[in-house]
Amino acid sequence: MTTDTLKSAAPAREGLSLRVLMQNSGIGLALLALIIFFSVTTEHFLTPNNITNILTQITINLVLAVGMTFVILIGGIDLSVGSVMAFAAVVAGKAITMPGFGDAEAIALAIFAATMTGVLCGLFNGIASAFWSLPSFIITLGMLNIARGGALQISGAQTIYSFPFAFEEFGSAMVYGVPVVFLVALLFVLIAWFILNFTVFGRLLYGIGNNEEAVRLAGHPVFWYKVAAFTICGLTAGVAAVVYMARLNISSPIAGIGFELNAIAAVIIGGTSLSGGRGSVIGTLLGAIIIGVLANGLILYGLSDFMRQMITGVVIIVAVILDYYRARFASK
Amino acid sequence: MKFSKLAAAAATSLVLLAGTAQAADKPVVGLIMKSLANEFFQNMMKGAEAHQQKRGDYELVAVGMQNETDFESQINAVENFITQGVDAIVVAPADSRAMVRPLKKAMEAGIVVVNFDVALDEDAKKQQGVELAFVGPDNRGGAKLAGDALAKKLGEGAKVVIVEGNPGADNATQRRLGFEDSVAEYKLNLLDSRTAHWETEEANSVFSTMLTAHPDIQGVMAANDSMAIGVVKALESAGRKDIQVVGFDNIPAVVPMIKDGRMLATVDQFGTDMAANAIDMALGVVAGGKPLEGWVKTPIELVTAD
Repeated sequence: MTTDTLKSAAPAREGLSLRVLMQNSGIGLALLALIIFFSVTTEHFLTPNNITNILTQITINLVLAVGMTFVILIGGIDLSVGSVMAFAAVVAGKAITMPGFGDAEAIALAIFAATMTGVLCGLFNGIASAFWSLPSFIITLGMLNIARGGALQISGAQTIYSFPFAFEEFGSAMVYGVPVVFLVALLFVLIAWFILNFTVFGRLLYGIGNNEEAVRLAGHPVFWYKVAAFTICGLTAGVAAVVYMARLNISSPIAGIGFELNAIAAVIIGGTSLSGGRGSVIGTLLGAIIIGVLANGLILYGLSDFMRQMITGVVIIVAVILDYYRARFASK
Repeated sequence: MKFSKLAAAAATSLVLLAGTAQAADKPVVGLIMKSLANEFFQNMMKGAEAHQQKRGDYELVAVGMQNETDFESQINAVENFITQGVDAIVVAPADSRAMVRPLKKAMEAGIVVVNFDVALDEDAKKQQGVELAFVGPDNRGGAKLAGDALAKKLGEGAKVVIVEGNPGADNATQRRLGFEDSVAEYKLNLLDSRTAHWETEEANSVFSTMLTAHPDIQGVMAANDSMAIGVVKALESAGRKDIQVVGFDNIPAVVPMIKDGRMLATVDQFGTDMAANAIDMALGVVAGGKPLEGWVKTPIELVTAD
């Protein structure tokens, strides 16, 4: 116990130092290998259109995974993000289709409704798990059901549709072949990277993941830091809902089933430790790209759906095993 | 004041008593559906409730499930209905094999059982020695209607892909087979066939990748409308207006798409009426009518812009 408390609570800042590069180089190399493999074996993989497609396809998962990184860094987990995304999308869908608003007002209202729904769900997750020191696994499992039930209740299990045209345009807008929604996701990655590396709050999240007691003894309000991590995760679920709506122009109450698992996979493949305290959001970005490249490349390669699922599973397990060796190597 | 309240309460309870006494004479129908999170079954339940209001000569107890694969709760529902002594059970089985045994128990208890929406497995029925009719649409035939519409529009040899429902689900399999029947009949060139698990977002992702692999696709057959919407969005972002899309279910969200030509056709199997029709048939048997036999096909209709 004494050695634990003596252990440095907040590890050295990572930034874009050589160390981060080394830590992420394994994932980077794996990604590079995948890209080379698919470029050589398939005709269409390395074409501008397909790259645009991949970026569009990973956007939702990337947004969710950025929030998930915060929660996993403090040693928690959020199983509710897929359901919260659907809940936020349905609430926003109801808002955007309310009569009596102009397009601009309706869109603003929808974005506000989606993000607020996400924030409130995340706030609840954070307060409930931190106040009673309960495993976030259980609390967010509860929220998974609350949010899914809420989405179905509010929508009457019907798909909500016919949104303003401008909203749809935002969903399919491109800047030099890069989807605008992906740029939004990238912006979230950058903000998260800044928070985690250059703010006291961010550094202490790593500290909480490593040694919560030490951070508490140092006089920091651990409770609120944990609540904030979950709230950020909820916020990203709300943002993912906006992206979903803009991209597909519908709100479906059964959207996002299993998305939490993809988001967790992106974080873990990106080298963030499931026990908290170690990892980076840049790794999460690479992890999300790997998952997207695999999903896309394996279809182009002509592999069956079932083989695709098996390979994705193998990649997750290999990533965790690699993480085990990396952790052992780092502790020596 | 107090007295009048009391009197009102007494009168109410008398009415309630009379109500239950009357209800005891009415036959009770237990309706078991699949996931009520599914728009299709949600509408079906509303249709059944409206039907009960309209007919008024039977009691309806409706139950659904948490999700499409939670068939244990359907088995529990059958057992509860046997205990409650309902007159008829009208069931859309989530698993065409697992439900045979509990339904056999219900029939042995003298309950009229009507199987609708998804047919019970023939082999499992034979094995258990159960004779049970099926009331429902021909998913395979319906899919072929949509597939044929696509084939007629595109002509022989056209290059098409299929977006499938959940692997293993009976209606997903039937619809895929129906699409494949059209492919065979019109000698279409089937480039690829993949699942998107009935879901819009996944269909959007999976189809845009299929389109990258096969830029020469001319037609898409989606096993439900939710996935067809995802396909249409993918075509819009790719700027392709030359590709025809057909779906299945005729949900409200695709009505404008059919109208403006973004979708060529969909199939309506009148899900709202489906449970209500099955209930009518069950009540007919309860009232002493002839037991149902074989496959009582319910209507399906191709929906196009004209």
